[in-house]
Amino acid sequence: MRPRPSTLPITLGELVRIQPLAGAEGLYLADASRRVEQVVLAETFERLRRCTPHVLVVLHDEAATGGWSLAAALHLAWERNVTAVVVSRTVAGPSSAALAERLNMSLLVIDADPVNVALQLAGQVSAPAAARALRQAMCAERLAEQTSIRGVLGVLNSELQGVPVALVMAETVVAGRAIAAQPRPNVERVEVEVHAPGERPWGRLVAAVPVHGPVPAEQVASLLRLARPALQAAWARTRLDSSARAAHEQAAFGMLRRLAAQPADEEVGGRSGEPAAGPGDLVAGRFRDPAGDVDVPAWSSELGWQVGGANRAVWLAPVRPTGEPPEEVTHLVRASWQRGRAGWPLIVQGDGWVSWHSSADPDDVAPVRRAVAAFRDSAAAHDLVIGVGRAHRGVPGLLRSVAEARLAAHVARERGPAAVQWFDQVGPQAALAWLPISEIAQVADLCLNNLMDARDRTALVQTVLAVLDCGGSLSQASLRLGVHRNTVLARLSRARQLGLTFDEPEQRLALHVLCYALVSQWTDSNGHPHAGTAGAPGGASAGGAPGAAGAGGGVAGGAGVGGAAGAPAAAGGAQLSGRRPAGPGAEPPGWPHTGRRSA
Amino acid sequence: MTSVTGTVPAGYVGAVASIGAEDVPALYEGAKFYSSAVGDANRSSLTSWLTGLLERNGPVPLRRVETVDPDTPCVSVCVLGSGSALADLPPAGDEFELAIRQIERLQGVRFGAVYPLAAATVSALVPVVAAAQLGVPLIDADGMGRTFALIHHTAMHLAGLSPTPLVAFGPTGESVLVEAPDGRRADRLLRSNVDTLGGWAALAAYPTKAGLLRHAALPGTLSRIANVGRLLLERTDPDLLVTRLGAITGCRRLARGRIVELEHLSRPSDGTIPAHPSSVVVDETGGLGRQLRIELRSEIVAVFADGALAAGAPDLVCLVDVSRGALATLDSLELGDLVDVIVTPADAIWYSTEGMEMVGLGSHGISLNHPRRR
Repeated sequence: MRPRPSTLPITLGELVRIQPLAGAEGLYLADASRRVEQVVLAETFERLRRCTPHVLVVLHDEAATGGWSLAAALHLAWERNVTAVVVSRTVAGPSSAALAERLNMSLLVIDADPVNVALQLAGQVSAPAAARALRQAMCAERLAEQTSIRGVLGVLNSELQGVPVALVMAETVVAGRAIAAQPRPNVERVEVEVHAPGERPWGRLVAAVPVHGPVPAEQVASLLRLARPALQAAWARTRLDSSARAAHEQAAFGMLRRLAAQPADEEVGGRSGEPAAGPGDLVAGRFRDPAGDVDVPAWSSELGWQVGGANRAVWLAPVRPTGEPPEEVTHLVRASWQRGRAGWPLIVQGDGWVSWHSSADPDDVAPVRRAVAAFRDSAAAHDLVIGVGRAHRGVPGLLRSVAEARLAAHVARERGPAAVQWFDQVGPQAALAWLPISEIAQVADLCLNNLMDARDRTALVQTVLAVLDCGGSLSQASLRLGVHRNTVLARLSRARQLGLTFDEPEQRLALHVLCYALVSQWTDSNGHPHAGTAGAPGGASAGGAPGAAGAGGGVAGGAGVGGAAGAPAAAGGAQLSGRRPAGPGAEPPGWPHTGRRSA
Repeated sequence: MTSVTGTVPAGYVGAVASIGAEDVPALYEGAKFYSSAVGDANRSSLTSWLTGLLERNGPVPLRRVETVDPDTPCVSVCVLGSGSALADLPPAGDEFELAIRQIERLQGVRFGAVYPLAAATVSALVPVVAAAQLGVPLIDADGMGRTFALIHHTAMHLAGLSPTPLVAFGPTGESVLVEAPDGRRADRLLRSNVDTLGGWAALAAYPTKAGLLRHAALPGTLSRIANVGRLLLERTDPDLLVTRLGAITGCRRLARGRIVELEHLSRPSDGTIPAHPSSVVVDETGGLGRQLRIELRSEIVAVFADGALAAGAPDLVCLVDVSRGALATLDSLELGDLVDVIVTPADAIWYSTEGMEMVGLGSHGISLNHPRRR
């Protein structure tokens, strides 16, 4: 039967953690898990000869004159199977340590008076529970000094020698020794929950305690509980640090952009100070040779950035933009994106995140390909799409690639979460991605009242779009729509009556774009009509419109259309901008619908 | 040198009948074997002095003690004090003769023979000097069989003979006569005068009769060092040397190893004998790979193998430098030297209880049981 923890003999490993032996130097530590049942202050070799096993011997006086006496004492201690020998530092030399190792006898050297040390040790050995409490207090001090999760786990693993400890989050070992989380025979598993702020479960501290080991499971559990506040503090600190770093990177990227854009701004007449809005704003390099010389600023390398080579940018963006992403999401995206690619930057830009990879070879796409592939699961989980630019050299090249990546990401949105679009494969179709779908749809609300009030408006608009797409060929359109040619004819006739006079040449382009916009808005990214689009026309589009959630309720319908130009795209959903907002991501959420709702 | 192997008793190997000038180098080397701590500072001056004496006066007869008339008065001589002082202040030449003459005058006798107090170091040579100067035979026996530190550490003292009256004659022509019934007191009285006499002195002590010496002295020790010296001068392979030395002295090799640590004068004196304790640590090469700790005072007093006492005073321990095949004196040891640790048993009398009390490990502050008495 296992003795009760309070009377379990203290081990050498526990004793060396508390004073006076905490101040001792272990010239050789044979087995820290050996128990210490008694302390003997040995003045003579005769006393040493009478030692029983499992005692700790403090050498003193005649037995500690140094030279031969320590060698002889170590030999006697080995003969008597004692746990450890403690001796004054002045009498022990390198050869004593070598002999201790040869005899596998623990040898500790002290600076204090051996008699005092022996007295203190005797007290600790006779009251193991008190000694353990003292040890825990010292351990708590050490834990409190740690500023990182790794440091906390390091303290736990060094305190609990022979008992591996790991921090586990969702069955994954985040820090510490992985062996702690593996099921093994004759090992008792001790777990302590660790909560994030707000009592959310965050992770578990797991220790594998050998069943017949020297450390009782209760003691391990109490040590693990002691470590919880330190872990939480370390976690909070990493969050603080990463926020500071994110802000730093964002500011630096802004500087980089300004640096590259400066000459171009001068060319176009001092159009400076305006943050990036549309694709043209982003493409500072559009105005200049991408290989144009802009010295790579030194501070970019301080951040760990590489800009000097051929830069290939990656734009991560939500499928449905909601303005600048919340800090929590940025935190998660950063953790996921930088897993295994700690050196890659991740900068919040507008509604998404920019990252890039710099390489000497512009055709080297493998690193980006791997990064994107590794990120796809996270992209799916966070409803993100990924756009990848081409490789361009230098700072202007980087900004050009960023613009390309962003454009590609917009194109990727059509294919739903986790879609990846390489700019090389985009082509002119990219222009459509930049169409202000909502505003154009709003125009339909105003100009084509009759059509928009019709119950079958979806079918009518889709049919007109198909016919226009097919260059006026009714048979191709009917094939594409999967309906009879006569049905197509009938719908076209009805559409014409409702104002869709698509066969008038001067209106054809406008109506083609309008139909495209309406169909895009009514159809989700997977090609399915939004719920209710076939129902009441007014209320129907409110539910599924991009960014409808969190809309600023007080925005009057239509008030923004044609309003004052030049207002920058700011964060948040209540933005009012008559000008085309900063890309689809900065669309004022829901404003085309609020008007209808209030109407 | 004339060997009289035909007449020697059983077990007495290669006894020597006389010592001539050609025997001096062997005598010196052998004397060094029995006290390896001593350096070579006096080598040339002493040996050339003795060689010249023997060449002028002819060989000194070496007589086994039982062949000398029991009533022959005889006296022991040795060098007292420091060997380096002897090198600094060389003898005038007549110190030993004059010391003996003083005792002769005091006791009203004429000594018919001289014997060494300790047949080792320079003290093994000076009795030959004295015998040659006095024109008397030398007795092949001594009081120690090696060297010990104090003048009463002798077989004669254990047998009840008094060291006094004794005379210490210094190189400056001054002398001290000590008469004290107790050997320990005589040593203390004498020792306090040595510095004043010049750092060393010629000592004449233990005046007695040859008949008493038959039981009180250790026989055959002078011819033994001559034989050992001859072997050492051959400079053979160390393994062969140890085997041959073993046949004469009973020595054995404890271990061969490399010096890994020299601990000099680090600790205060812890025994009754004035010396600075220090240690040499040798890692055994081959064999068990033991760690040998060799404890030094004015000589090697103990050897610990992995902390267990393997040999100790009065055992005679010396180191043989393997690369040179020669004895390594303690002041010539360096880190990394490969040495053989050779243990030679002392004469049996020193393992008696009285002998151990006097010159055993306890006298060097090592309170452990000797391996031979465990």
